[in-house]
Amino acid sequence: MIWEVAKREILTRGRTRAFRIITAILLVLAIAAPIAVRLWPDDGPDTREVTVGVDDDFESEAGLEQLEASADLVGESFSREIDFDFVASSVALEERLADGEIDVGIENVGGEGEGPGRLVFEKDRDQLVEFALGAVLTQRRQIQEAAELGLTDEELGRLLGAGPTESRLLEPVDPDEEEGEAVQIVLAIVGLLSAFLLPQIFGQLTMMGVVEEKSTRVVEVLLAQVRPRTLLAGKLLGTCLLAMVQLGIVVAGLAAAVAVTTSISVPVSAWRFIPIMAVALVGGLIGYTTLFALLGSLISRQEDASQVMLPVFLPLMGGYIVGQTAIAGTADSLLARVLTYIPLTSPMLLPVRVARDAIEPWEIALSLGLMLIGTWLLFRLTVRVYELTILHTGSRIKLKDLRARMANS
Amino acid sequence: MGAGLSVRGLEKRFGEVIALDGLDLDVAPGSIVGFLGSNGAGKTTSMRGVMGMVSLDGGTIEWDGAPITHEERKRIGYMPQERGMYPRMKVGEHVAYFGRLAGLDKATAAARAEAWIERVGLSDRMDDAIQDLSTGNQQRVQLSMAMVHEPDLFLLDEPFAGLDPMAVEVLIEVMQSQLDRGASVVFSSHQLGVVQDLTDTVTVIARGRTVASGTVSELRAASPKRLMRVEWADDTAWNPPEGVRTDGGQQRWAEFEFPATADAAALITAASAAGPVLSLSYDPPGLDDVFIDLVTP
Repeated sequence: MIWEVAKREILTRGRTRAFRIITAILLVLAIAAPIAVRLWPDDGPDTREVTVGVDDDFESEAGLEQLEASADLVGESFSREIDFDFVASSVALEERLADGEIDVGIENVGGEGEGPGRLVFEKDRDQLVEFALGAVLTQRRQIQEAAELGLTDEELGRLLGAGPTESRLLEPVDPDEEEGEAVQIVLAIVGLLSAFLLPQIFGQLTMMGVVEEKSTRVVEVLLAQVRPRTLLAGKLLGTCLLAMVQLGIVVAGLAAAVAVTTSISVPVSAWRFIPIMAVALVGGLIGYTTLFALLGSLISRQEDASQVMLPVFLPLMGGYIVGQTAIAGTADSLLARVLTYIPLTSPMLLPVRVARDAIEPWEIALSLGLMLIGTWLLFRLTVRVYELTILHTGSRIKLKDLRARMANS
Repeated sequence: MGAGLSVRGLEKRFGEVIALDGLDLDVAPGSIVGFLGSNGAGKTTSMRGVMGMVSLDGGTIEWDGAPITHEERKRIGYMPQERGMYPRMKVGEHVAYFGRLAGLDKATAAARAEAWIERVGLSDRMDDAIQDLSTGNQQRVQLSMAMVHEPDLFLLDEPFAGLDPMAVEVLIEVMQSQLDRGASVVFSSHQLGVVQDLTDTVTVIARGRTVASGTVSELRAASPKRLMRVEWADDTAWNPPEGVRTDGGQQRWAEFEFPATADAAALITAASAAGPVLSLSYDPPGLDDVFIDLVTP
């Protein structure tokens, strides 16, 4: 019987245009995101073109080719594409600099073709250009000095080709582990968002379903065949399954798109994390849809819904905000730890703390256990309230009236 | 069919309000019972009590001689006063869904739904949404929902309310067919003419309590009043006793009410002495008058 009620929920809600459109949009976004990342041109940092005017007293054409070769190497490190252009004299160099035709000049100081050269900027120094051209000019001088000292090309090569200084790490990071942590954090964000959004969407759907059955009076006909607890359980089951179907479609689309467009390998640690996240998500979904159903049974008009929804959003918002903080900062703060054990906030905190590796195994077990017990108690309470209020129509049932009904029943 | 439905001493309070105060109701197998009471008398609450929708403070409900169970309640076809349906569901799916809830398998529920929808004259609306039907047609669908699992007992709360004459005919025909196959029917109505025509027995309740029960003839016969109507051939010098109404102008007829224990023969003699009598009737009051007398505090 529960399944019959659940099936009706799935079919009627799932066939609505709103559900299909939202699912389609989410699926398109899930598939498009990895594809967009793949197709987006990755130029690295913005490369700036720099034109350098060279006083022809400073360098010959052959020397300029050598300069360009050095500048290509150095400029790439500083995200600068450096081009050289001969200028007839120092005066011409200053004029072209003032006209903006060149970005920087190299003027000759000292003997023709032998001086160290000096960089000339118009107003402001581009420090990266200054550093890059400084390195190029230094290397030029080193070559000149080496020639004067009578070093052979081989000796010069050994001198300039000395490798970088070696270094070592006391605690080297495993690249796989690093990638795994990144994947877990991404999953934690997905889990947190899902645990925050799904209960809202499908909880409100449950609430509207409860209210609709009261406002259309169909509930009285239903109760002729179905017990209230069966009806409620069927509604919750149907709504939660529908939510999982929607999430499943979106996640499958995302996974397929990621698999096709990237070479990310899911680390072993992520496979441990995913089931915990899934359990927390389902637990949260059931808990919140139950709570929404409880609140829906207190009203009989759709327009009264906003009056009773505040108690749902307090734990939802609290869990979400602390969850965000735990992703970005400290994942084992006292607040995060406490909210991990509270059934209505644990669905958001548990995946995050697991992802951040800031939780002990016993804490996971305790959190899941409390979530299970809390959800069951909430369901029992909801059934009780639902049975007592299901035939009520008219204004919202106040807490005082509810207590009186419960005491008299 | 067994011993039918037996309701004894139902009690229910809503805060300070006493909704049911020892209500009794008997429904023999294969019988049709009119369940009468003024607004707020407790008809709906007692029907909901029988269906297990409200928790009762006292009393017993037996079905075939044993306390009724949830499974046995599925043998009841219930049509509440407030008609209720899922507005966006299709007619065929809606009726079949309630068949499934009543325990029918999928194929049987679909076949029965189709048959009942055809029977109430809506076969061409099978795939329409409930919300696209007129109120009258929605009530026909509601009737199909109560009938689809072919129950042994029907509890119909104001089934004739808001129906056009054709729909009334359909409902009466359907009720009769269910009686013919051995089912029982209990229905509440303020249309006492229909109740008088259709029912085997009538139960009248007031202030949550059963105040009379029996056939319509028995209830009328049990009335403490009698009505007499005399029509004379000519104007008469009839001097009516207190409480007698006449036409006043021509004094050609008189209608008067007197206690059932009064000497009717003496009244007839007195009326005959006033002039030549064209017609004379002597009857207990109709169901309308009996009902009003029973429910008036």
